Amino acid sequence: MSGAALALPRSMSREALVLPALALLLVAAVLAALTAGRFPIDVGRAVEILLSAPFAEAPETMEERIVLLVRLPRVLLAAIAGAGLAMAGAALQGVFRNPLVAPQILGISPGAAFGGALAILFGISGAAMVGLSFAMGLAALLAVGLIARVGGRTEIVTVILAGLVVGALFGALVSLLQFVADPNGSLPAIVYWLMGSFATATWGRFWLALPGLALGIALLLLLRFRLNLLSLDEAEARSLGVRPEAERWLVFVLVALIVGSQVAVSGIVGWIGLVIPHAARFLVGHDHRVLLPASALLGAAFVVAVDTLARTATTAEIPLGVLTAIVGAPLFAVLLRRYYRTRLAG
Amino acid sequence: MIALESATVRFGDRTVLRELSLRVEAGRSLAILGPNGCGKTTALRAALGFQRLASGRRVAPRIVGYVPQSVAIAHPYRVLEVVAMGRAARLGLFGQPGREDRTAAAAALERLGLSQLAEAMFDRLSGGERQLVLLARALATGSPALVLDEPGAALDLANQARLLALLDGLRQERRYAILFTTHDPNQVLAAADEALLLMPGGGARQGASADLIAPEPLGALYGVPMRMVGLTGTDGRMRRAVLPAFAGEAA
Amino acid sequence: MPSRLAIALALFAALPLPLSAQPLAVTDMEGREVRLARPAERVASIPIPMASTLIALDGSTRRLVGMNPLALSAIEEGILGRIFPEARRIPANIAAPNFVPNIEALAATRPDLVIQWGGRGPDIVRPIENAGLTAMLILYGTEDRTRRYMRDAATLIGRPERIGPLVAWREEVQARLSAGTAAIPPDARPRVLYLQRALSGLLAAGADPEIYNHFVIELAGGRNAAEGLRGFTPVNREQIAAWNPDVILLNSFEDALTTDFVLRDPVLSLTTAARRNAVYKMPLGGYRWDPPSQESPLSWMWLAMLLHPDRFAFDLRAEMRAAFRTLYGHDLTEAETDEILRLGTQGNARHYAAFRAR
Repeated sequence: MSGAALALPRSMSREALVLPALALLLVAAVLAALTAGRFPIDVGRAVEILLSAPFAEAPETMEERIVLLVRLPRVLLAAIAGAGLAMAGAALQGVFRNPLVAPQILGISPGAAFGGALAILFGISGAAMVGLSFAMGLAALLAVGLIARVGGRTEIVTVILAGLVVGALFGALVSLLQFVADPNGSLPAIVYWLMGSFATATWGRFWLALPGLALGIALLLLLRFRLNLLSLDEAEARSLGVRPEAERWLVFVLVALIVGSQVAVSGIVGWIGLVIPHAARFLVGHDHRVLLPASALLGAAFVVAVDTLARTATTAEIPLGVLTAIVGAPLFAVLLRRYYRTRLAG
Repeated sequence: MIALESATVRFGDRTVLRELSLRVEAGRSLAILGPNGCGKTTALRAALGFQRLASGRRVAPRIVGYVPQSVAIAHPYRVLEVVAMGRAARLGLFGQPGREDRTAAAAALERLGLSQLAEAMFDRLSGGERQLVLLARALATGSPALVLDEPGAALDLANQARLLALLDGLRQERRYAILFTTHDPNQVLAAADEALLLMPGGGARQGASADLIAPEPLGALYGVPMRMVGLTGTDGRMRRAVLPAFAGEAA
Repeated sequence: MPSRLAIALALFAALPLPLSAQPLAVTDMEGREVRLARPAERVASIPIPMASTLIALDGSTRRLVGMNPLALSAIEEGILGRIFPEARRIPANIAAPNFVPNIEALAATRPDLVIQWGGRGPDIVRPIENAGLTAMLILYGTEDRTRRYMRDAATLIGRPERIGPLVAWREEVQARLSAGTAAIPPDARPRVLYLQRALSGLLAAGADPEIYNHFVIELAGGRNAAEGLRGFTPVNREQIAAWNPDVILLNSFEDALTTDFVLRDPVLSLTTAARRNAVYKMPLGGYRWDPPSQESPLSWMWLAMLLHPDRFAFDLRAEMRAAFRTLYGHDLTEAETDEILRLGTQGNARHYAAFRAR
């Protein structure tokens, strides 16, 4: 077999089909989301508003404002947050060689939740809240690193154990904040925010979350081949010129950036990082060079779809975190059984 | 060329290697032998640069091709992608393997006669195939040095012979410097021109395989009587082999 | 126009006082028998709204010996702290904000009676009983419950003569509003949305008889715009746009919340409520006017005047002065009245001119 033929192996042909299919799925989900809502706007009118948006003046009518100022930022925020969370999960699972790992496990989510709750308690919002969320997620991560680093080396098992410890600590700190919070003021705000929702999405919040999410997503995408190497045995990876410890931490910081940005604007949205990479692996296999973009597209489409359900299914706004758990947990169970059945068969 | 000069490795206050020196030149191969727990793996890791030296010095190229022992690690990637990982050091942190890297990977597979496996999933391969693919990956690094951890230990006899023949070919035709650990003195005779015996209780002896793979040094190494036998090879030439004495036999 | 509360009070004042040495018994709202040998002189109150109600029932802070830390901060922030400056010395460490009693701090106040929430399970009640203290449990949320716990508390502190006029006032204002709005056809009833939270996620009061704000909206001649919702429920801006309420009421709980939240929002500002400038933040008197309290009739009149200015022309400022005199023994100044009604921030809202000093 010649090198030229190998330059486009069969694996690429499947990738060539699945990735565009997922991209189409995402576009369809976004379009459906933009035309659906509690305020009655017919699909044709919604599409017309969207198409004329780049040339139109500032939106004037209620229909225009709902499509362009309520639905559009919310759908885009849901999409980029979903992409980021799914990719963060896929990256962590690769680095830990463990399909059950999620941002939760490194203490990042509990840390970010503590930062966000702290911000609400002290009435901090905007970029400062994003910063606090990211900083606390990162602080939790650093605490995990310091605890797990024994004798100048960091073993993956100790990282997971330290993550559990730090996660429990930050979970307790969130409870402490809820304990001291004003039941008339910040307490319901914290509780509602912890449930996770994109209901408060505006363009302002979208632009607030975008830099962290976009940077995290872009750099993780660039690292997609490196993630294959980081998923190897430590000695193998080192022999290939990888600095596993330093590069793992780079991945962790990027995950903290994604999770911190997302948590600050939309609270705790669980399960995405666990369920979506599994589903994506089922479609495209384990190679992170395909898995990462596939997870991002699938995660974005999934969160957009679930969020659309959350805001349109009933008069009440259903908390997104509750829905992702209800949809995600059984889906995960099914995927897990399939995954191990195929592995046992092989 | 790979060398350790008076390398000492400590785990806490326990000294695992004391002032070990070894040297493998290009076109040569060196086998490390020793009973369990005498520091074979540590010596290998030290040679690979994975082990901080308490004192002493390591001389080696930046990248050393490494073939791990465990063939149980099931990378869920296609064989060609596994081999292309050997190119990582050339690609940098954010690099992606390109056409050139795939060509190099394919060439490494071809050299080992594995081209037909390129599109197979690594985790579906047999143990022997896996180890050969990892050898191809080590070749794809382009490093002039190879380090193998107990090559063939988990392989059946046919695959062992194939691997050892490949290694010997690489050494002779491509001038690789090859370092490996093993429990089997006959592997040493087959594939290494030098041997390093890590003696129980510290100390090491490096010398020509022909000198060290003999009843006296091996008897001292393993603490059991050894004997030398002559066998006629398939090519009709006489070859030597070492065997432990039979159970109950007088020394 | 003489204040109805003043008249009622005069009538009841003529009734003979009960003998205060007699044992007192009340079946509280959880069906528990609460017995006291004599009227409670020292009362510790754990539910947040109860502290100000006790002050109103007694007309002083004398009997209140302990309260929830958040009740104290509400008193300090509002006008009650200025009327009763001594209130800030009352211990506020007897319970955590989540109503779990701190038994040692609670016992240290030597209370004759501890008032605690019912309906929240035994964990916040048993420790009080175990410490040998007498607890009365209250339930919250509807007008009936409010009258019931006010009556129970007044009985146990030996001020039953205070409760008659307060309940009579409530009945009187309620009857007047019901009569005044009875003839209004459904189409002419403005559709009102009450947002219990706004700044961090929108929480709407559902069209649910258990929800006090729904009761008040209907009483004042409005219709709850949040049809089909039960309880306080999260909604999104698009849903509010779809409801398109005629009036939006904002809660008094969120400090930083002003009518600008609606008036400057690109979507909410296009609702009929915002276009007509009919967006109001609930006033904050001795207690907040959105949940039930001793001041509720003032809140009902306030909303009725905003929804149906053609039908109701109370002199709300005079009503407030009379009520504050009776409830707290305090003469409201014009400036205090303006502050409670938020004339400074929403004086220009639709129909708000009726509340200005004349």
